[in-house]
Amino acid sequence: MRIRIHRPFLPVLAAVLWAESVFGQAPAEKAARALLAENCLGCHGELRMSGLDLRQRETMLKGGQRGPAIVPGKPVESLLLKAVERTGDLKMPPGKQTLSVEQIGVLRSWINQGARWENDNKDGGAGAPSWWSFRKPVRPAVPVTSGNRPKNPIDAFIEAKLREKGLTAAPPADPRTLIRRVYFDLTGLPPAIDEVEAFEKDPSQAAYEKLVDRLLESPRYGERYGKHWLDVVRYADSGGYETDLYLRNAWRYRDYVIQSFHLDKPFDQFVQEQIAGDEIWPDDLALEGSYDIPDEKRKHLTAWIGTGMYAVGAEVGESNLDFKKARAEKLADWADITGAAFLGLTFGCARCHDHKFDPVTQKDYYRLQAIFGGSREIEIPVTDKMQLRARDIVFSTQMLPILELRTAYKLLVSDVTKRSAAAVKARFPPHVVAAYEKDARKRTAQEKAITAPLVDAIQSIQVEKEMTPDELRRHDDLLRQIAKGIVNLPTQTGDRPIPFDGLLDVATATVLGHFERALVRDVHVLDRGELDRPRDKVLPGLPAALSQGRALTPDCSGNCVPYYRKQLALWLTESDHPLTSRVIVNRVWFWHFGQGLVSTLNDFGRQGQVPTHPELLDWLATDFVAGGWRMKRLHRMILLSDAYQRSSRFANDANAAKDAGNRSLWRMNRRRLEAEAIWDAVHAVAGTLSLRMGGRPVVPPLSAEERTGLRSRNQWVHAGDPEDQNRRGVYVLVRRNSRFPLFDIFDGADPSVSCPERDVTTVAPQALWLMNNSVPFQQAQHLARRVAHEVGTNPAARVEQAWRFALQRMPSPEEKRQALELLASLEGLDGSASQPALEKLCLAIFNLSEFIFVD
Amino acid sequence: MRSAFCGRVAPALSRREAIEKSGLGLGAMALGQLLGLDARASAKAAPADPLAPRRPHFSAKAKSVILFFMQGGPSQVDTFDPKPALSRLDGQSLPASFRSEDLNLQFIKAGQAKLMGTRRSFRRHGQSGLEISDLFPNLSRHADGLAVIRSCFHDSFVHGPALLLMNTGHIRMGFPSMGSWVLYGLGSESSNLPSFIVMSDGGIRSSKSLFGSGFLPAVYQGTLLRAEGGTLIENLNPPEQLSGQDQRLLLAKINEWNRQHVESREDDSRLTARIRSYELAFRMQMEAPEVGNLSKETEAVRRAYGVEDPKTAKFARMCLLSRRMVERGVRFIQLINNDWDGHSECDDNHVKNAAATDVPIAALIADLRQRGLLDSTLLVWAGEFGRTPVMQGSMGRDHSPYGFSIWMAGGGVRGGKAIGATDDLGFRAVEDKVHVNDIHGTILALLGMDHLKLTFHFQGRDFRLTDVGGHTNLAQRLVRA
Repeated sequence: MRIRIHRPFLPVLAAVLWAESVFGQAPAEKAARALLAENCLGCHGELRMSGLDLRQRETMLKGGQRGPAIVPGKPVESLLLKAVERTGDLKMPPGKQTLSVEQIGVLRSWINQGARWENDNKDGGAGAPSWWSFRKPVRPAVPVTSGNRPKNPIDAFIEAKLREKGLTAAPPADPRTLIRRVYFDLTGLPPAIDEVEAFEKDPSQAAYEKLVDRLLESPRYGERYGKHWLDVVRYADSGGYETDLYLRNAWRYRDYVIQSFHLDKPFDQFVQEQIAGDEIWPDDLALEGSYDIPDEKRKHLTAWIGTGMYAVGAEVGESNLDFKKARAEKLADWADITGAAFLGLTFGCARCHDHKFDPVTQKDYYRLQAIFGGSREIEIPVTDKMQLRARDIVFSTQMLPILELRTAYKLLVSDVTKRSAAAVKARFPPHVVAAYEKDARKRTAQEKAITAPLVDAIQSIQVEKEMTPDELRRHDDLLRQIAKGIVNLPTQTGDRPIPFDGLLDVATATVLGHFERALVRDVHVLDRGELDRPRDKVLPGLPAALSQGRALTPDCSGNCVPYYRKQLALWLTESDHPLTSRVIVNRVWFWHFGQGLVSTLNDFGRQGQVPTHPELLDWLATDFVAGGWRMKRLHRMILLSDAYQRSSRFANDANAAKDAGNRSLWRMNRRRLEAEAIWDAVHAVAGTLSLRMGGRPVVPPLSAEERTGLRSRNQWVHAGDPEDQNRRGVYVLVRRNSRFPLFDIFDGADPSVSCPERDVTTVAPQALWLMNNSVPFQQAQHLARRVAHEVGTNPAARVEQAWRFALQRMPSPEEKRQALELLASLEGLDGSASQPALEKLCLAIFNLSEFIFVD
Repeated sequence: MRSAFCGRVAPALSRREAIEKSGLGLGAMALGQLLGLDARASAKAAPADPLAPRRPHFSAKAKSVILFFMQGGPSQVDTFDPKPALSRLDGQSLPASFRSEDLNLQFIKAGQAKLMGTRRSFRRHGQSGLEISDLFPNLSRHADGLAVIRSCFHDSFVHGPALLLMNTGHIRMGFPSMGSWVLYGLGSESSNLPSFIVMSDGGIRSSKSLFGSGFLPAVYQGTLLRAEGGTLIENLNPPEQLSGQDQRLLLAKINEWNRQHVESREDDSRLTARIRSYELAFRMQMEAPEVGNLSKETEAVRRAYGVEDPKTAKFARMCLLSRRMVERGVRFIQLINNDWDGHSECDDNHVKNAAATDVPIAALIADLRQRGLLDSTLLVWAGEFGRTPVMQGSMGRDHSPYGFSIWMAGGGVRGGKAIGATDDLGFRAVEDKVHVNDIHGTILALLGMDHLKLTFHFQGRDFRLTDVGGHTNLAQRLVRA
């Protein structure tokens, strides 16, 4: 028996684990191979002691005299692991030379991930897929931890990694930091000062848990996390391209998303509804003859609105883009967004060629498109039949009179115009008038020249000036009646508060429906993605490498349209689907920590990054599914972990040297507020934020400079109700071509494509907005009023209160001194009462880094 | 590349480095100086700046670009591509040999359309004898400086996608504009002004999609200026209740408090960058109005550009501002002219637009040359496509992406030549065909960049301005005599 000298192993392991190789062996495999070679192959290589050969996957599966050495995916059942753990009678390696906890962990996770071995690097074949994310997640064992209290499993994984890497964990954040963190994280809003002070008095774990639960129940959570999801699914209220068509009822999908998060809809159901709400919960939705939509129908209607996800993409809205081309773009968008949002895979590359890096073939891509081949966008009423009736009654009794008045008005204007034109023509020679009477398009150049003055003269007729006093009276009277009629149109149905969308516009949603079967076009693989280069026809299908080539079957015969989307949705939400749960769990992790366990949130393929904590990711994914795909349960577990509650201000040279990017999460990440959160926070501390939820997008006014470049003024028709100008950012109109300037400046999502993660840039226009835009200044005035109302005129008290409202803390003595100094010098300059000075101090506070960064 | 801007924890510095940087860095000091306050500390390197100037891949003359974007699509046969045969066949049907299955037009059916010759007259200009129509009498005087490319084409006959193709190289939304790529590649040399400027004399079709940064960080997006006077950049002036003196006091305090805030967070470079951004913002606030103040120019210059003539005033202001910005190191300037979409009375449309732009563009060329800036400034004139040689409706021309003309000048380009050719009727590019990806690759090359190397990794792959094309590069031909 050979005793091997145990060489220092950890540094190598760490290096291997951190190698972010795109190609070749996954880190777990590399590490496992190195470890086996180092410790085992001396006997179980060429020598094949006890018949065991650990040099090949096949021979390991076959095993030696005691049976198979490994069971891929099942560390607990793997003899190899039992042997090195020394839990049974077999203890390996023999003698005193035992493997360390970390080394055993390497083997465990390698087996857990399917015991991949380089020479079975073929996808779509009989064996397990070679890429980690394509293998089904298996719930790993939670690492054993030391310490007194039972650990949150998350911390067990995180701390094992910290130990392995020799990193020191940061201490817990102080209570104020923690409550601000969890408030901004879950609601996108700052806490009120009294809540902070109460939490500072009792920062117990119990109090923290209660806080977390309360925030998760708040509708503000739905708005905050709904917006995260809306980024992922490229939500916008307009279609982009040249015309930037307004998507009139896109907001119904936005509200559906917010409600889904608020109501903690299981994520599998959320996926199913968005892909195939209409197919899984089919309902003719025949409008009921009563005022009430039965609950069942309402549920189905809600599910159907979920498919609106496919109707909020970019759209070329121009005249003659032919149907075929427009349709090809639509199908591409639908396939891409399905891949990005749910599978975390970039399918787009496969539009033109087989994916170079992922085992997604071009055929897979067009098969995915073909799943949507029978689907189209349709607009459905989302109200009861009585609203339609109410509309019809109002139409005949109120709208028709207005229409007739308008006809009369137009006739009057036209009569006067004709009369005046005749008078003008009389002043011109007959041949000019004759040329003028010809079709404008048929005039010769010379005729054009001679008629030009006449054309000008007629065009410059001011009708109202040409009217007789009687006519003018009638004109004004008609206008008044028309305006009055419009103003008096009801905004909702009579007895029941079902609002019309606009002027008598019945509530509708744009959702997915189906073509008549005869109209469903075949989908072809397109050579280089080009429509005029069709190749083989493809049938709807799932990506082969992910589904083991499972075929989709038309679930109907005859003239019905097969429900392929339903099959896609059900496949995606199978409990052991390798991607769906991992991808969403990773997104949630990113939303909380500012970095994903897989840092490429929309790319779980070979071009993406491998997970920093593969076992944790799989544990979370499997636990998420086992717990019923409940988002709030997942949030809660993460928020209650020590990892989440750590300080972000912990500086440690040794840590920084080993893991400058904090990939092991030895501390919390500091985050800059997102664009919407900055808007919300400024209004919240000023006390002006409206918490009105849902409905048509709201449109805050823009300055003249901000309007520059709008194609038409009517692309930004601002809200008539001042309250709507102070609504939460998530409700602000999202125009693909003209994003709200503040959001643009602070890295808001570009809804052209899925945006899983926003950039965080630091540029001068941000400073200019906070310093100079009218919004922060107006809100600073509101904050100043709020401060004055609270504490009166004492300058020191004012400074303290401003700090408490805006930053949820008392100023330091130094800050207080400086602020008073500032107030005094501002007053000295404008010689005014102290209110304007206080307003300016408040504006300064909005500009503090502390205001827009969360520790 | 991407992670540098993504707000994850920035690379931690050693404690010593961090302390050296904290609060005492360039930003803090410079703002203090700007505000006339006590400046105490020595300057230290600021955190990595995504806009820092970068060396091109190889040496090239052009350092900045002015793109004259003729929105709507000018007709090639009425501007830079003379077609005597078309005039001879005026009024006749499009010959059968010119029709084909893939000839899609927005409004007309090629089979029923009648040919329409130009109403313009073409003349040879300069020593080179380059032919230019009489729409551009002033520009024609610079014929020996212009290189016309008559064989451009791309893939869409509809405005929206075509605008995206010409400005981003891609037919779908979400891609960075040409100016963003150039800024990403070369960085900024105008510390007090945005380095990618957009001005328009009217509404912009597709608005921000034409100059957005797509998946590149937002710092590379174009900044829209109001050229008509008043405030040049949004949020440039403080609210009226805030006097200049008060603003200085506020800035000083903000700066001081933000420095205190960094003190216990030394290793977060975003926070020091933020202090620096206030310095930049303040400098911009000081400098931009000065740049926009055209009364600093002599009356002769203003007249030469046409600033005083109502017909040309708008575009003239844009051109004169461009020269002032090029002087200050602005990298990429996009001037949008409205609107060449001549579906009816195409000639009237073009006469009007040419009249609005001819004098200003010619004056800008002369001015840049006289100041020694023409060699380092690449001028590009283009629309989103050309127009049909067949008539639509009342003497109109429909969109046509099958063959159209652009021109380049300055930036090392040797003018007085025409590259490529369309067919005898001016419908399709037939000789030396140049796809929009090739145009972009050529522009990058003239700026010293290899279009294959200027990449950005996004959603699983490296993207470029030139998509998967750009393999026909005209830069060598353009700079040769």
